[in-house]
Amino acid sequence: MHTEPSAHALPEALIEPSLTVGRVTPGSLDDQVLAFPETPPPRQWYIGLAITLSALFTGLGFIGWTFYKGIGAWGNNSPVFWAFDIINFVFWVGIGHAGTLISAILFLFRKRWRNAIARFAEAMTIFAVMCAVIFPLIHVGRPWVAFWLFPYPNQRALWTNFRSPLLWDVFAVNTYFSVSLMFWYLGLIPDIASMRDRTTSKLRRAIYTALAMGWRGAASHWQHYEKAYLLLAGLATGLVLSVHSVVSFDFATSVVPGWHMTIFPPYFVAGAIFAGFSMVVIVLVVVRETMQLKNLITMRHLDVMNKVILAMSCIMAYSYMMEGFTAWYSMNEYLHHGFMNIITGTYGWAGWITISCNIFIPQLLWFKKCRSSYFWMIFVAIGVTIGMWFERFVIIVISLHQDYLPSAWRIYKPTMTDFGILLGTFGLFFTLVLIFARVLPVIATTEVKAILPDAQPSHHGDDHHV
Amino acid sequence: MSETSYSVLGLFDTPDALMQAIPKVRAAKAGTVEAYTPYPIHGIDDALGLRRSPLGGMVLVMGVLGAITAFGFEYWISAIDYPIITGGKSPSSWEAFIPIMFEVTVLFATFTAGLGMLLLLNRLPFFGHPVLSSKSIKGITRDRFALAIEAEDESFDAAAAARILQDAGAVEVEVLPAPDRSPFLTSTYILRTLGGIFVACVVAGTGIYTLTKWFPLLRPMVNMQDQPRLNAQKASTFFKDGRGMQAPVKGTVARGYLPTATGTQDASASLVNPLPRTKEVFAVGRKAYLNRCEVCHGALGNGVGSLTAAYGAKPANLQSQQFQDYPDGKMYWAIVNGKNAMPSHAADLNESQRWAVIHYVRALQRAQNAKDADLKVVAP
Repeated sequence: MHTEPSAHALPEALIEPSLTVGRVTPGSLDDQVLAFPETPPPRQWYIGLAITLSALFTGLGFIGWTFYKGIGAWGNNSPVFWAFDIINFVFWVGIGHAGTLISAILFLFRKRWRNAIARFAEAMTIFAVMCAVIFPLIHVGRPWVAFWLFPYPNQRALWTNFRSPLLWDVFAVNTYFSVSLMFWYLGLIPDIASMRDRTTSKLRRAIYTALAMGWRGAASHWQHYEKAYLLLAGLATGLVLSVHSVVSFDFATSVVPGWHMTIFPPYFVAGAIFAGFSMVVIVLVVVRETMQLKNLITMRHLDVMNKVILAMSCIMAYSYMMEGFTAWYSMNEYLHHGFMNIITGTYGWAGWITISCNIFIPQLLWFKKCRSSYFWMIFVAIGVTIGMWFERFVIIVISLHQDYLPSAWRIYKPTMTDFGILLGTFGLFFTLVLIFARVLPVIATTEVKAILPDAQPSHHGDDHHV
Repeated sequence: MSETSYSVLGLFDTPDALMQAIPKVRAAKAGTVEAYTPYPIHGIDDALGLRRSPLGGMVLVMGVLGAITAFGFEYWISAIDYPIITGGKSPSSWEAFIPIMFEVTVLFATFTAGLGMLLLLNRLPFFGHPVLSSKSIKGITRDRFALAIEAEDESFDAAAAARILQDAGAVEVEVLPAPDRSPFLTSTYILRTLGGIFVACVVAGTGIYTLTKWFPLLRPMVNMQDQPRLNAQKASTFFKDGRGMQAPVKGTVARGYLPTATGTQDASASLVNPLPRTKEVFAVGRKAYLNRCEVCHGALGNGVGSLTAAYGAKPANLQSQQFQDYPDGKMYWAIVNGKNAMPSHAADLNESQRWAVIHYVRALQRAQNAKDADLKVVAP
């Protein structure tokens, strides 16, 4: 089947270094990772939770104010009807994309380093999509009838418009959330079974028993399980590419100058992965340090992640240049005006924040020193997070505030409520991250066990994994 | 799966030991051989002689079904049941249906992969399996590997099975009782519930769709109509007089209705008609006269109107000499204030309409008393 001295014949550079630091056995892995939910959280955890919960409740207060006062509580007004709400929606959906990329696309590419960080990244996907869906829901103005977005037989004898990209969004985001949740839960089942069998608390045992669905690790079950995981990875790969493409259609299918461009779908997908990876890097560094997981989430993981961020930054640079090129080459005065607005207009500062944070700052990652320094990688990651938020601001607000009709031009100013709700979603996201880190296994122990040295029978020398 | 009544579990410490034991245990043919491992072991499917998982085919079928369902639904709604033209495209143009078709395909396929694997193929959840309550399960979900010989029929010999496992290298052996087939939350139960929910959704959906076709007058949600406001003639507790709509302040004058000819009729005699005698003014006067004056004064102004016979009073004959000599101002005063049985027309005709009517009355008088000289004016 395969040639015998496989690993030794490879050149040095192609041999994969070990994925863990020090000696890790399946047993020690369980003792390290699955012990978190059984030990009381440290004081820092409670402080963190207090901060994130305050942010969350601030946001809830402002959402309540929006319901009481109406959408007039926001800065949106003609012609900038889409502002913070849609900026934040696109921002959070984008953050989610990193998780699916790590769990699905890197799985198909057989990148074994993904196994240690996939669980956390997938969890972040789910939390980010939860933050994202809040915005279209409150943006509709009467969220208690938001179910009208779905095509169901109703007394009004109306159906939804299937030619509207906004309806495509409803389907794409809902599918994305359900599929991510299923993917995440399937991955959790064997880990929860491990927790069920090691816990001594009766209550925990009852909860884990129910969640693990009686998983017993039978070989015949694993066979179907692996098949399902592979299929889900393949389907999620197509899905993750489609979701942000559909989000970009909200813009690209309109005739607003600066939106109506064919580059939008790939440009949005790359931007989503870019922003998502940065958020994963920020969270992983914190998790790695505070939860003592340095032997499992190694500097090598962070190095590879930073390389992905660098590659995405280059794609973003190309996209921005292409936007300028289209404006110039089309000889379309509206497009030209829109592009000049980004670099010299009233909101020019936002345009330059976007370009600096997304293109110039990530270039630091060309240096190995920056890729292996906490300070520089966090600096870049926070820069990218800010830059990607401002990119959506540039796309939405700058394009809308001056379109074809000069008499309708208007400068958009966000209100306290806009900022409050954005803060609230950060609170929700990090609250969920903190809770997740204490109640469920933060590392997919089953998947990591399968790629440990000696985990597979020795006569089967291929580097297959889960 | 065969109905297992009894089984023996042998524990191994390494995947190598497990893999080497499998052929030996299978060769003994003492019962169904199953392995329990903390993570998937490569090559174990072939070693145990497991058939390929049918999941790929199931997912393909359901994915295609999802695509067809989505397309059919979108086409039926957008082209047949609720045809609507968007962006100048024909109601049956299908290109815009593709994004949702793709999403629904993925949705059907992933749920088939996930739930099909758990509920249909693995028959989970199942909490009654003896392995779950065995002593070995702590090791199985951690770092140990188990091989089980499960009974196929009554002739199962637990002692012999344990010996076979020990000979194959098992470090520990455990005999397990029959599975507890209690009905609590099994995959069958969940599948039936899901099936029930699906049927209920389809029935309710078609039911509501049909009912709304039969009873279109059932009021849907009316948030837009039921507003906290007062209609014109509604009562209100807000004002002292109990009316929702208040009368204008005394002395309020509507636009274009400035009071004129407020004195006596004789005092008004000096008023001069401000309007020129043009075709347009005569047209306005004629229309106003026919609307407001004709019923009494008659189309010719001779006091024989369509209502004159049924009406007690005698309307003025505007063709009479008295009215031919009447000053415009006195006639204007009569329109504003009314005279004898004639009511005031101040509310019906604005100022320019009143003066236009007077021009028209003069034209009627001249038409009824035409002189030869007038013919010369008309002739070209």
